[in-house]
Amino acid sequence: MLRPKQMTRAVIVGHKDILENTVDALHNGNLFQIEDFVEEDDSYLKIGKPFDNGSELSKQLVKIRSIASLLGVKDNTAEKQSTKAVCTQLDNCLDSLDAELDAHVEKKSMLENELKDVLSTKRDLSPFINIDLDLDLYRGYESLDVFTGHVKEDITPSLSKITSSFELFYDSHSGVIVLFVAREKAAEVTEMLPSFTFKELKVPQLSGVPSRLIADIEGKEAELLGKIDAIEQDIDALKQQYGDFILASNELLSIEVQKSDAPLRIATTESSFLIDGWLPTERYGELEQIVNKATSSRAFIYTQEISKSDVPKVPIEYNNPKVVSPLQEIMNLYGRPTYKEIDPSALIFITFPLLYGMILGDMGYALILATLSIVIKKVVSSDAIKSLMNILIYCQISAFLFGILYGEFLGFPLAGYHGTPGLIPGFETIDLIATPFAGEVIGYPLHRTHLIMTFIVATVFVGLIHINIGYLVGFINEKRKHGIFAAIFEKGSWFVVQLGIFLTVLGYLGMLPIILGAVIFIIGVAMLLKGEGIKGPIELPSILSNSLSYTRIIAVGLSSISIASTVNFIAFGMIWQPGSQIGAMTLFAIVVFIFGHSLNTILSIIAPGLHALRLQYVEFFGKFYEGGGRKYDPFGYIRKYTEEK
Amino acid sequence: MVTEAVTMTDPAGLKAIGAALAVGLTGLASAYAERDIGAAAIGAMAENEGLFGKGLILTVIPETIVIFGLVVAILML
Repeated sequence: MLRPKQMTRAVIVGHKDILENTVDALHNGNLFQIEDFVEEDDSYLKIGKPFDNGSELSKQLVKIRSIASLLGVKDNTAEKQSTKAVCTQLDNCLDSLDAELDAHVEKKSMLENELKDVLSTKRDLSPFINIDLDLDLYRGYESLDVFTGHVKEDITPSLSKITSSFELFYDSHSGVIVLFVAREKAAEVTEMLPSFTFKELKVPQLSGVPSRLIADIEGKEAELLGKIDAIEQDIDALKQQYGDFILASNELLSIEVQKSDAPLRIATTESSFLIDGWLPTERYGELEQIVNKATSSRAFIYTQEISKSDVPKVPIEYNNPKVVSPLQEIMNLYGRPTYKEIDPSALIFITFPLLYGMILGDMGYALILATLSIVIKKVVSSDAIKSLMNILIYCQISAFLFGILYGEFLGFPLAGYHGTPGLIPGFETIDLIATPFAGEVIGYPLHRTHLIMTFIVATVFVGLIHINIGYLVGFINEKRKHGIFAAIFEKGSWFVVQLGIFLTVLGYLGMLPIILGAVIFIIGVAMLLKGEGIKGPIELPSILSNSLSYTRIIAVGLSSISIASTVNFIAFGMIWQPGSQIGAMTLFAIVVFIFGHSLNTILSIIAPGLHALRLQYVEFFGKFYEGGGRKYDPFGYIRKYTEEK
Repeated sequence: MVTEAVTMTDPAGLKAIGAALAVGLTGLASAYAERDIGAAAIGAMAENEGLFGKGLILTVIPETIVIFGLVVAILML
């Protein structure tokens, strides 16, 4: 906890004879992250060559993946198959499956092209459907010109003015005309037509009456669609039959290809190899054991010290208890910690749900959202979503506890407050302590709507505590990286500055000589200047703006209460009053109530979630966190569909 | 004789208008500031999804403005 797992840099050296066995063992072990070897010009170490079967395996893998994508095979939870069975099946039926599928796909695409042609002819013909004229009659005249196209209205009156020798077919419904006119008048007609927004149509090179042609085409279209459907069913049958095999062989081949390509990441000489990489220190014994077993102890393994320049390269594996691990998702969003840094997952495990709960603080919403997250967690199989749901559940527990403290249920106050009744009859607010802010009185439950000033002050203090934890972690990080003096000047100075401000305020109130606070403040600023340079004093106002930023805890909370109580008021105050006659209005009120609260439930994830997250990321992490660590990604594969037997 | 009708402005109304201005204007200001940052952050994320966290942080920084507006409005009412 609080630190990523300790890593060891290990080097494995051996004769090339045992390279394949070593790679096999490492891949099965899934614990060693190989550091890619970069070849230098004058080095006597060269990049290795892939194992012999590599290119054949890659070809098969490409084939399997193309089959998988053509069939649309999706990940599922199939039973694990033994690798031997998959291997035999792979040799026997990969080619035939490929050929069969190819034939189907080719035939399908041919039919689809045919269908496209048919549909385009149909589209060309369809304007002429209502004109009962053989298409052959549209062309081949010596003394006649033919105009075909769309117009916006009947052109007969205007046409009659130009000539009387014409033959016009007009479909008033679609505005299509077919006009035969003597050639000598054609020029005049051409001039006239644009005033009717004439748009020319091309006549398809077919013979026959359009309506009959279209009927034929439709018959053909249905036939083609039927054929395509049949092929799709065949393809689907293939998918049903071979789906599990494809998934298993894809996995098997991916593993084999990874292994056969491994030498490309390894340094070799004429007859030896050298594998450099990382693993968690606690698993070093395991590495020795599996490599020795696979090579009959012929490989030599040793550890290398992690030098300063190596530190940014160290892969990071979280080292958190299982309860904290969902919060690692939040860390990943920002960037993994670096090797020397404190891993704040365990800190935000407490602070994130705490701030979320403080903002939401409503038993009703907490229960709804907790139920929702549990259901989603059960239904969805994605790990990322599961972690997210776990975080939401943590947040709802905190929101429920704060709901008890605030005495709120779906925006209704549970306890009565000075005359106004609450949801539970007879439960009255108990006044405890008067605060100095606007005459507000702290009691139980805490009515946020009546304690605004108190809450604003309290949230700023919550912020100061949170920020100072940040500075403290920053102090530890800095001490680890650059020593105690750098830590004192860079991060410790902030404590001195705050102390200075605090004492100055006390001085202002007349409890201390004001000069004392001022001197400490100036000392703090001087330390900051030394530690961070000019950037330090420029950031001084951030103490104020950062801590004021925590007032969002009450501000966002109040806005959520306002929406909830408005919904309650509209439903059970304006539309229907409890106690009055039950009727259609009651139903309407319930609909409004459900709709309004569903909306606010969704807002209750987004608003408090994002604001609590932002307080972590900006105000808290800003004080100490660098991030940007590399993920520990060991050489290996987690099998889902196959198992070695 | 002409008498001028004397109208009193209700201070509660002015307070409400002030509160509305505090929230409304700061909301606009935040939106205006977040507009460019958000667009740039999405652009960066399209290139590299790992930038989500940093993009989110940079995008929500100006949103403190509206929170301050909200606090001011709450204090006024």
